[in-house]
Amino acid sequence: MAKRVLIAEDEPNIVESLTFLLERAGFDVTVETDGKQALRAALEGLPDVLVLDVMLPELDGYEILRRLRADPKASGLPVLILTAKGQREDRETALDSGADLFITKPFANAEVVAAVEKLAAGGRA
Amino acid sequence: MPARQAESQPLQSILGARIRQRRRELGLSQAELARRVGISASYLNLIEWNKRQIAGTRLRHIAEALDLELGELDGAAERRLLETLTEVGHLPELAALGLEDERIGELIGRFPGWARGLAAVARSQQEATARAQMLSDRLSNDPFLGETVHRMLTRIAAIRSAAEILTEYPDVPADRRERFHLIVHEESRALSDVGEALAAYLDKAEAPTRTLTPVDEVEALFDARGHHFAEIEAAAAPLTGLLVEPQPVSRHAKARTLAETQLGDTIDELIAAQPEIETAAAGARARRALADYAVGAILMPLARFVDLARASRYDLEALAAGFAVDVAAVCRRLTNLPRAPETPRFGYLRANAAGTIIEMLGLEGLAIPRYAAACPLWVLYRAQQSPEAVIRQRALFPSGARFVFVARARNTGPTGFGKPRHYLTDMITMSEADAQRTVYAADAAVPVEEVGPSCRLCPRRSCPHRVDDPLTA
Repeated sequence: MAKRVLIAEDEPNIVESLTFLLERAGFDVTVETDGKQALRAALEGLPDVLVLDVMLPELDGYEILRRLRADPKASGLPVLILTAKGQREDRETALDSGADLFITKPFANAEVVAAVEKLAAGGRA
Repeated sequence: MPARQAESQPLQSILGARIRQRRRELGLSQAELARRVGISASYLNLIEWNKRQIAGTRLRHIAEALDLELGELDGAAERRLLETLTEVGHLPELAALGLEDERIGELIGRFPGWARGLAAVARSQQEATARAQMLSDRLSNDPFLGETVHRMLTRIAAIRSAAEILTEYPDVPADRRERFHLIVHEESRALSDVGEALAAYLDKAEAPTRTLTPVDEVEALFDARGHHFAEIEAAAAPLTGLLVEPQPVSRHAKARTLAETQLGDTIDELIAAQPEIETAAAGARARRALADYAVGAILMPLARFVDLARASRYDLEALAAGFAVDVAAVCRRLTNLPRAPETPRFGYLRANAAGTIIEMLGLEGLAIPRYAAACPLWVLYRAQQSPEAVIRQRALFPSGARFVFVARARNTGPTGFGKPRHYLTDMITMSEADAQRTVYAADAAVPVEEVGPSCRLCPRRSCPHRVDDPLTA
């Protein structure tokens, strides 16, 4: 059975590329475009990997990550942070908040696919 | 004694050097000049080497013998230069050189061009540092730039990802291929919009950069004219009758409109004739400063202001009530009084709640730091503890100069319950001798407070309020 990826991202054109790429890599992809919905979908659906943008409407990516980590059933959910804020302190914030991997925009498609595959296979940073 | 004579020590060192320099230019020996002035050659030698202080009649006789105006021996320009160079000498980056304060006067007296050049270099260096700091702050903190960079990176991410798909997946079905082409097209247009907005923002942000040098040019103009402009007074006087507004705020607004609509030409002509105003930036600044001056002249016409000022003994609140203006306007106007022996000379300072000095006028004789905060013991910084109250301070400077400071903080924010107060403090300064002619005269019962110019320049090493690098190591 295909592994399930939840994409939490509000930029429709980026969503379109990511969906295409991850479906091509054999994943079952669902998408949420706002923070609150993304958190609910992650907690209810418990995907194999969450690809999470930082700047989301309603609830930002770091807050979603903190809430997931505080919930026993989602504390181990593999999370890839995908963000245009690429400064060092952002990377530290992301990793401190419990992200497993961190990739900055603009990204290489192959890098994202490889990261998701690694997390889905149980690998961590 | 007027305020400008008060800080006599450093000034004396300019005097000695200038007398020596001028005497040599004229090819006079010490003995010959001494004979003409009617003093001994050895006494003149002491004067030239700053071992004796002179003033008054004797100084005038020396100036005559040297064929100089008194002001050329003891001028405001030199004083400002001396203050600037003293401050430059105490900049932290130069502290290790141990530059000698006591030789600055001699430098100015003997090599005036080099002294001015050194001050100009120091100013432009300071200006460049301030600009670099401002730009760096902007790059790291500006919300618009942060947001713009984020948007650019997002657009680029979408373009790059779609373009990679088009290149690397040749088997994409035609309809989806069309879709990714469209994404590249849309996103690259959005990216150029963001780029244009960014370029426009950077162009605009460049313009209002604050420079320090125009400040000096405008100060030089005001100093040269003794902070009094007869042509503006004359043009402003007939406009006062047009003020019918009872409230200070609306009177002020009306006076500003009149100054701008009726006196613009007078001000422009005045500026055009000034050698002190060299740059366009200084011209714009001078125009603003003279428009402020004109507002005061319309609100408080000179003849009546002089009368009421004398009658009330320069009482700030009485004058504010008498002319239906705020105290700040009175403070500013007091610096414009024509010079006369019996008229006190006032300086004016305004500080915001952060302690930053945001306006200063007519402060000859009082060294106001330009590159550092002033002394925390000044009543300027205490007035906000008792807003709206006029408080007075007898201030004794390390040089021995004595000033009286009178300060009052006022709320400039919105009024009403729960509204935050935004205090600005106005302060007038006068020499203690001048204060005797005012309601702020201090008798012996009023304690004298030892203050300084700023910590960096202050020799009071044991002062418990000292915060900066020590001056006298």
